[in-house]
Amino acid sequence: MRGADYVIKRVAFAVITVFIALVLNFALFRLAPGSAVTNLSRVPHATPETKHAIAKQFGLDKSKGEQFVIYLKQLARGNLGISFENSQPVSKNLRTALSNTLPMVGLGTLFAIVFGTLTGVIAAWRRGTTTEHVTIATALGFYAMPTHWLALMLVIIFAGVFPSGGMVDDFLIDPTWFQHVKDVLYHMTLPASTLALVLYGEYTLIVRSAMLETLGEDYILTARAKGLKPRAIVRKHALRNALLPITTLIAISLGYIVAGSILVETVFSWPGIGRAVYQAVLQRDYPMLQGAFLVLVLSVVFFNLVADLLYFKLDPRIAE
Amino acid sequence: MSLLLQEPGLLAGDRPARSRTGLLWDVIKNQPSATIGAVILGIFIVLAVLAPVIAPYGLHEQVGPVYGDPSWAHPLGLDDGGIDMVTLLMWGARISLVVGFAATFVSMVIGGTVGLASGYFGGRTDTVLMRITDYFLAIPDVPLMIVVAAIWGPSLFHIIVVIGVLLWTGTARVVRAQVMSVRERAYVKRARSLGAGNLRIILRHVLPQIAPILIASTVLTIAVAIFDETALAFLGLGDPSRISLGKVIENAFQRTAISSGAWWAIVPPGAAVALLILSCSMIGRAMEDALNPRLRVSHLSAKGFRLRPLVGRGRDAV
Amino acid sequence: MRKGLAAVATLLLAASVIAGCGGSKSSSSGTTGSVKEGGTLRLGTSSRIDSLNPYVAFNQDAYSTFMYIYPFLVQYDKGLNFTPDFATKWETSKDGLTWTFHTRPNAKWSDGKPLTAEDAAWTINTDVKYQGTGGANTAGLIAHIKSATAPDANTLVVKYEKPVGNVLSQFQQLAILPKHIWAGYTGHKGADLKTFPNAAPIVSGGTFILTKFKKDEIALFERNPNFYGPKPHIKGFGLRMFSNDDALVSAMKSGEIDAIESVPPTAIDTLKKAGVNVSIVPGVTTNDFIFNANTKKTNHRELLNLTLREAFAHAIDRDKIIKVAWLDNAKPATSFIPPATGDWHNPNLKPETFDLAKANQLLDELGYKKGSGGIRTADGHKMSYEVIAPNDLTGVDRTFQIIQADFQKIGVELKQRSLDSSAAFDVITAPDGKYLNFDLAMWDWVPLIDPDFMLSVVTCAQYNGWSDSGYCNKAYDAMYSQQGTTLDQAKRRQLVWAMQDKLFKERPYILLNYENWISAHSKGWAGFVSSPQGDFNSLSKDSFTKVHQTS
Repeated sequence: MRGADYVIKRVAFAVITVFIALVLNFALFRLAPGSAVTNLSRVPHATPETKHAIAKQFGLDKSKGEQFVIYLKQLARGNLGISFENSQPVSKNLRTALSNTLPMVGLGTLFAIVFGTLTGVIAAWRRGTTTEHVTIATALGFYAMPTHWLALMLVIIFAGVFPSGGMVDDFLIDPTWFQHVKDVLYHMTLPASTLALVLYGEYTLIVRSAMLETLGEDYILTARAKGLKPRAIVRKHALRNALLPITTLIAISLGYIVAGSILVETVFSWPGIGRAVYQAVLQRDYPMLQGAFLVLVLSVVFFNLVADLLYFKLDPRIAE
Repeated sequence: MSLLLQEPGLLAGDRPARSRTGLLWDVIKNQPSATIGAVILGIFIVLAVLAPVIAPYGLHEQVGPVYGDPSWAHPLGLDDGGIDMVTLLMWGARISLVVGFAATFVSMVIGGTVGLASGYFGGRTDTVLMRITDYFLAIPDVPLMIVVAAIWGPSLFHIIVVIGVLLWTGTARVVRAQVMSVRERAYVKRARSLGAGNLRIILRHVLPQIAPILIASTVLTIAVAIFDETALAFLGLGDPSRISLGKVIENAFQRTAISSGAWWAIVPPGAAVALLILSCSMIGRAMEDALNPRLRVSHLSAKGFRLRPLVGRGRDAV
Repeated sequence: MRKGLAAVATLLLAASVIAGCGGSKSSSSGTTGSVKEGGTLRLGTSSRIDSLNPYVAFNQDAYSTFMYIYPFLVQYDKGLNFTPDFATKWETSKDGLTWTFHTRPNAKWSDGKPLTAEDAAWTINTDVKYQGTGGANTAGLIAHIKSATAPDANTLVVKYEKPVGNVLSQFQQLAILPKHIWAGYTGHKGADLKTFPNAAPIVSGGTFILTKFKKDEIALFERNPNFYGPKPHIKGFGLRMFSNDDALVSAMKSGEIDAIESVPPTAIDTLKKAGVNVSIVPGVTTNDFIFNANTKKTNHRELLNLTLREAFAHAIDRDKIIKVAWLDNAKPATSFIPPATGDWHNPNLKPETFDLAKANQLLDELGYKKGSGGIRTADGHKMSYEVIAPNDLTGVDRTFQIIQADFQKIGVELKQRSLDSSAAFDVITAPDGKYLNFDLAMWDWVPLIDPDFMLSVVTCAQYNGWSDSGYCNKAYDAMYSQQGTTLDQAKRRQLVWAMQDKLFKERPYILLNYENWISAHSKGWAGFVSSPQGDFNSLSKDSFTKVHQTS
């Protein structure tokens, strides 16, 4: 069956992509100048035996091929290795980091989608007027701003109004659930807003074009001739048509969002996966880096797969 | 990064081939955004090229206190080394543009070749090349850039190569689509049947037709490359001996510009980057709209959308 | 030691400024003077605690943490003399091979178990036994120890193979761990010592208990009711870790934290304007310009010439570097034993004058003629060198730019090669720890109070260990051994001064400056005991014991 064929093909593609990413991941770090052994063994009076013992402990003394096989075997068991830096399981470090990133990034995307759709509808509806031009110009303007610069601008503008860093006020002793949520939201406002602002422009433009496409169709003309109100037209026909690209757009962006949080988290000291990646890079913490990179690739591939399947469901013609 | 928008009423792609300059002139005339973009970009390029000559102060010359306030002599104030910001912006734009153009050139060469081969030869070649492209796309580019830059070492050359090698996919896809449509055109088929070799056909017939769209795609890639460079510099992975706009922002960030109240150390360089990116986007988008809005990829297909990832830019959606 | 790795070799005197004064509720009233009991001090840092395990941790903040949660035999007082902590008094045998410490009776760990000399003995013996594997971090501290025993609950006897001159300094840095917690983690030939997470809440024996720890975010400490020493005024404190200085300073200004561990020079004015107390004291962090001093190096051997090194020293404008990179918050340096460590610093050394004419003259006399572009030639090649610079070194870019510009004026071209610390060390020691390749580098050291560690980094034994200069000199090594076993402190001082003198003449380093330690706290708090490593440090438990809210 064609449908099943398509699904299988896309899943296979996803799996192979992940594997390629794994190989790439592994190979890159082992070729790095400046090895983790040196960093770990910089202790006073470190004898060659000490360094060798450390290398053995982290499996750095085996051949590259052997190391890779070991890596794959452990991955299968869900073991992402031990962080060089704090000798703790990478999976544990990452789990915490990811759970910190998702809400912030999710909120930002939500804002972007809602706001983007709204402005896209407005722009399409008010085609040709100043409103449209202003809307598009603003969308493009924010779209063009470097994410980290916009983050810094928000920090400057809202200094004193919103906290400029961190996820919670750690000195809030034993807060109630409600207090805690309020605290987190308060800290999340600026980073999520940064994301929302740089993202929404894309949604605006896409929604607008999808709607224009639909609004230009003949059956819309017919509907108008029949006396249907513009708002009803927009709601019943144009927006519904735009749902297809919007849905897939959302699914795909979710994949990239996790990857893209690096800059925002660095500016706002947000203890998420982006910041973890950055610090792992600085410290040459191979296992952490491999783990974080894997998580990022998996999320992208997963959401792309979801997008593919979703799209197929909405429009089976794509399988041709 | 562009959105392949179909503006109802614009040129359709099935017009007979026009001269390239005629087409470009058309774009500039009909699309005001492209003109604005071109003017802005032009100003930056002129400033950047002439920086050594017209910069008001020395690039490493301390002309006042750390984070000196803006004044008549220094309209944009001083940075954390007491250096004039206007000077820094000019020199910074220079490096940023160099990286942008160079990296884009790399990606244009790679992407153009892949797209050309894939679209022209079709079949096996196409499948294999597109697979490779797809895999490249699926891997998030900015984390990969960070890792590679960190491992390989921060130097201008490395940054250019890293960015270039990860940005070619967009160009490849666009070129491929265009090549596939050109390949079916009557005159190409005729040349073929007359026995013209592949190379000749490519050079004489295909290349000229895809050049405009290739240029449009390239301009868009420049915007992405500039952004990527600022991102890498901000994370401390830029070339420490070169001042790029990204490095200026990073310096200010590392040396507590915000809490020292020295907003002038951050706002102008970022605004400059935003303007550069905006102008390139406007030009590229307008060119794409005008040249061939109805590429084979339907604009409603998710695959036709180019998403802007949070950090990186310009990667195709899928 | 290197800034980031400082804590490893010796517990760096990490100064973490604990900012006190938060909006925490104070408990008791009826305070005398202006001391308000209770409260939680909120300290901010842009550094971090990398690990809670003393066998793994590298960062200063981790070591300051250990100082407050674990017992140490001795600690420093404000005058940098040794004073009791867990040990109340101590004696040495005549031959210096046996040390006896009398420890506090009836002490308890925070979980109620007895804290005795046996814990100390166990810690020392474990460190000795596994110094090649899991205990590598503390290997330097237990050097030359044969064994440690606890003949009774309050007596610790440590036997040495040879007399050691800085025993107290070593024990000032050795955290005593609870045997009943750690004894089970010596498996795999001691390798398990490194993998034990030692997660919060930690069984503590010091002034505070570490109750909560979130990596890269927060570490919360509470008063330890079982502590054998003086009780602190505060109920507890928290160390909040920021990923950059701006967020840190903003948090201080907005009142989210009460004190800053280490203030970036650019924020001093803005903090003062916001009504924050900023304190600046001489620190110990020393920045340097490194020559590859390995006499066996292969290329650019002109850099081994002592006159050339002197010429280079005259071309470095320390004052300008201090002004631009440190905003005047540093002092010109001469030796890597800073004045802040007391009289171990040789005061007779003076920094070389910034004199481009003299530098040019010296290089002219050596016969290095200026060629095209104004760059000199030596031994048939241009005097153009690569300077390895770790990218996380504070102020490195500005410092390098200044040096590069001035060297241009004496006909020497410098190029900066920025690498992360690990890669930088690899390149310096290449190939295979032989130090044959590199020419120049820049880095920093954070010395301890006792000079033994710093003096050791330029010994031949530290090749591929702590040496970043490849310096190896038999006469120096002999002096080092001698000072290490000299029990008479005055004689030892003479030797230490002589060693600094020798290094000044042979110049494996051109020491650039000694950084000041800048800390800040809001006006609602007082009582900090400052030190060359700030207020949150691993020198003593004093600071946070004395800190309190003002009314």
